[in-house]
Amino acid sequence: MREPATKLRTADDLRRTTAPALLLERARTHPHRVAFRAKTLGIYRECTWRGYAERVACTAKAFAAHGLAAGDRIAIMADACEEWLICDQAAQALGAIVYGIYPTAAPEEIEYQMRDGGAVLFIAENQEYVDRILPLVERLPALRRMVVIDDTALFAFSHDKLIAYEAMCAAGRDADLAWLEARTTNLRPEQPAFIVYTSGTTGHPKGALITHGKHLAATRSVAAQYPILMEKTHRTVAYLPLCHVLGRDIAVTLPLLTKLTPHIGESPEDLAETLFETAPTVLFTVPRTLQKMAAQVLVQAGSTSAFKRFAYNRATKFARAHVKRRWSGTAAGLPALVQAAWQAAVFRPILNKIGFDKLELVVSGGAPLPAETMAVWHMLGVNVCEMYGQTETAGGIIAGQRGPFPRPGNVGSVPEGFEVTLAEEGEILVRSADVFERYWNNPEASLAVLGTTGWMRTGDVGEWHGDNLRLIDRARDFLVTSGGKTISPSFIENALRASPYLAEAVVLGHGRKYLTALIEIDFETVADWARGNDVAYTGFTSLAQHPRVRDLIQNEIDRANAQLARAEQIKAFRILPKALDPEEEGEPVTPTRKVKRTAMYERFRPLVEEMYDDREEKLLAASAADALA
Amino acid sequence: MSRQPRASGYFRTGYAQDLKLVQTRAERASLALLGAVLLAFPFLASPFLLDLANQVFLASIGALALMLLTGYAGQISLGHAGLMAAGAFTVGILFRETQAPFWITLPAAAAVGAVLGVVFGLPSLRLRGLYLAVSTLALHFLVVYLGGEYEAKRGFSTGILIDPPVLAGMAITSGHAWYGILGTAAVATLLLCLNLLRSGTGRAWAAVRANETVAAALGIGVAGHKLLAFVISSALTALAGALFAYHRGFVSVEAFSLFLSIQYVAMIIIGGMGSLLGAILGAVFVTLFPYGIEVALRALPGAQRYAGTLFAVNYAAFGFVMILFLVLEPLGLVGIWRRVQTYFLLWPFKHRPLAGRRR
Repeated sequence: MREPATKLRTADDLRRTTAPALLLERARTHPHRVAFRAKTLGIYRECTWRGYAERVACTAKAFAAHGLAAGDRIAIMADACEEWLICDQAAQALGAIVYGIYPTAAPEEIEYQMRDGGAVLFIAENQEYVDRILPLVERLPALRRMVVIDDTALFAFSHDKLIAYEAMCAAGRDADLAWLEARTTNLRPEQPAFIVYTSGTTGHPKGALITHGKHLAATRSVAAQYPILMEKTHRTVAYLPLCHVLGRDIAVTLPLLTKLTPHIGESPEDLAETLFETAPTVLFTVPRTLQKMAAQVLVQAGSTSAFKRFAYNRATKFARAHVKRRWSGTAAGLPALVQAAWQAAVFRPILNKIGFDKLELVVSGGAPLPAETMAVWHMLGVNVCEMYGQTETAGGIIAGQRGPFPRPGNVGSVPEGFEVTLAEEGEILVRSADVFERYWNNPEASLAVLGTTGWMRTGDVGEWHGDNLRLIDRARDFLVTSGGKTISPSFIENALRASPYLAEAVVLGHGRKYLTALIEIDFETVADWARGNDVAYTGFTSLAQHPRVRDLIQNEIDRANAQLARAEQIKAFRILPKALDPEEEGEPVTPTRKVKRTAMYERFRPLVEEMYDDREEKLLAASAADALA
Repeated sequence: MSRQPRASGYFRTGYAQDLKLVQTRAERASLALLGAVLLAFPFLASPFLLDLANQVFLASIGALALMLLTGYAGQISLGHAGLMAAGAFTVGILFRETQAPFWITLPAAAAVGAVLGVVFGLPSLRLRGLYLAVSTLALHFLVVYLGGEYEAKRGFSTGILIDPPVLAGMAITSGHAWYGILGTAAVATLLLCLNLLRSGTGRAWAAVRANETVAAALGIGVAGHKLLAFVISSALTALAGALFAYHRGFVSVEAFSLFLSIQYVAMIIIGGMGSLLGAILGAVFVTLFPYGIEVALRALPGAQRYAGTLFAVNYAAFGFVMILFLVLEPLGLVGIWRRVQTYFLLWPFKHRPLAGRRR
């Protein structure tokens, strides 16, 4: 039985509406269809569109009763959970502006965003986040209420601004869909809906202000690029933080536009379990997840028994050749049959173990996806595509590979509704009716990005490969060695990160003779390797400092070096003695685990300096000083 | 105990799905295949093989009952043959004295078993391990002695003959009919045990077996649950004994020697302690073993000369196999089965992925 495809609404249509209005429409047209499933106490509880809208209505009325008015800001600090969606839609329905704070944000960042955004309501997922906001309350005059979704660990907390979500919702229990309807008809699509703070690797995050209509019209570009989303009901896993625009697209907006049904696990940390249980058919994810899971597959396959390894090696050998045929579009006939046989015998059982066997489409966004990672998934038979968007494109994408099985190395073609051109130095410029409005409280930055010509600056450098856009680097993120070579560190870092044992690699060497790298090991895969190779360790640090782990990493670096030009090769490296933790204050990573290169250097200066033996310079300087004196 | 499905994509949207015994398509398919084989078997097998299958079914019921008691509740019993005798004699006596039909004798046998279970179980409240085993052994002799006395006093010294049970006007004599009845009884016992073990009772038994003090501290009535284990296990065993009596058409104390108890203990040890599948595998193994030895001996050159020693060889080989299992494969047949199963389930990996585990 084929279900009828949903028709994608036009951009003009969407630009004139709001997300809560779309939600109400779904509640009317498909009241009993499942909107999302959220796991609580081991059960994926289903929420229908009608149930979803009713809960939004109750929450909205409760918000209104607590004084939330149009234009007020409301901050949510929570992992992906159903209450996030509901609070978000409820606040939007009242015309309030929502912004999320990364659950992994450090205290000073929380304070900055609370002050900058000026939220009157703060929604915390649980006691953990209440603990982080309580010390700041006195310094946040705008804050009127703190709402806790899960108040189970909240003993002996008493603060007159603190209220449990359940208790708060009591104030809106009598709200129905008609009440919500009355609110949404007053909404103007050109009013701001939410702010997304960009996790800048330099300076404080900037809050991009996005309006109702433009967000919907922009997000339409994703659905237009991937028409498969409209064809049938798709399961997906929503685990990315919803404060990120990609997370919001997956959990909130795309389900309203397409037939995507998000599944929310008990915690984002249980992602592996959630994927296994729900076996999604579509997955939007970030490179880090794909990389980590591919690494686990490779490590597991590497430590298997003789016959299984034989089978796996034969399958991979064929797949490696076949994937090239796929990329060049010549995969048909006998080779396709052989690949299908290997797929059934070897790859499908592998994919089943991680819940990837039903996937029809995987879209990677948020950061560049290393070509090796994409190739590994293509070999395993998973259709991984890459897309490229920015917070500033309001939920839409600048480019996306349509696939299936696109050749890695570019980010695909430009979707409907967006225009892209390259500036003189290769900087990617975007023009569209649907981009963000401005940066919150930051007119200079807004002007710098939006300019006056109608072309928005992305700050990224790219080039064209036919119709496909290829990303070179973040602009201004080049380093120049003392030999005068201009090098793109992220290119080298991606080559390094292709190793399953490396979680993070930071390449340094600006103004130096050669390049060096700081390496964070991937604890899980290295621990796996250690178990298989009789390496005794007690924890992260002891593992990271083990001489045999050093040898292992050296091998991985040598392998990466073999693919790199001479000037790009890593001459020395150090393994970080601890895992990078964005929740810790002053750590050189953003909440989305993007590394701040300069902060990294500051933090681990002794390790870096160790790698540059500068006796030569000192000697020269000493003798020159004599001569110049 | 809710088990995680072995394949991806089986998420539960309600607790009812959590209780399903068959979770994945692969499981359903293999179960259907097994069912088809079991259904087709009587039409394809020779009468001798059919009789073997019936013996396996009977042994399975007894082994499952003992597994509940020893493998799950942790109470050792050497009185299994005595309980089977009690069931068989209940049928024999009721049939001889009152001509009672099977739908009276079978429940009566179960009831006698249950009462004896309380008696067998009482020592378990004070005794553990070897001492408990010896006390159950004493009861075994008591039951067998009473049975023997009945036979002697009533003049059935060679045994009590029982007419085949009559179901819907037809006397059940054919191997095919018995195959259906015993097969159904074995499957029903298996389902009963499966569900018992998933319920509060089963969990309480596991707690009692692990540590009585901790179980008591968790609010589990240790004495009550031990007795309950004895009662349920004994009732099932007596029922197996009753079915055995009907199947044979004959009851005699000779059939319930101490060796029978040892055989049942051997079934659950060889099969694998703490596994219902183990009880069934053990029942199959122990029942078929002597026939296997016979076939093996016949295959040797000059088979005629060994014919007289077959019995002795059988005993010796049985003891040898027991020792081999205890030393080389303490997890029993089910341990071997799980290893084979894991090999294929993990294909093409060797270890379970770490991914699902929290750091």
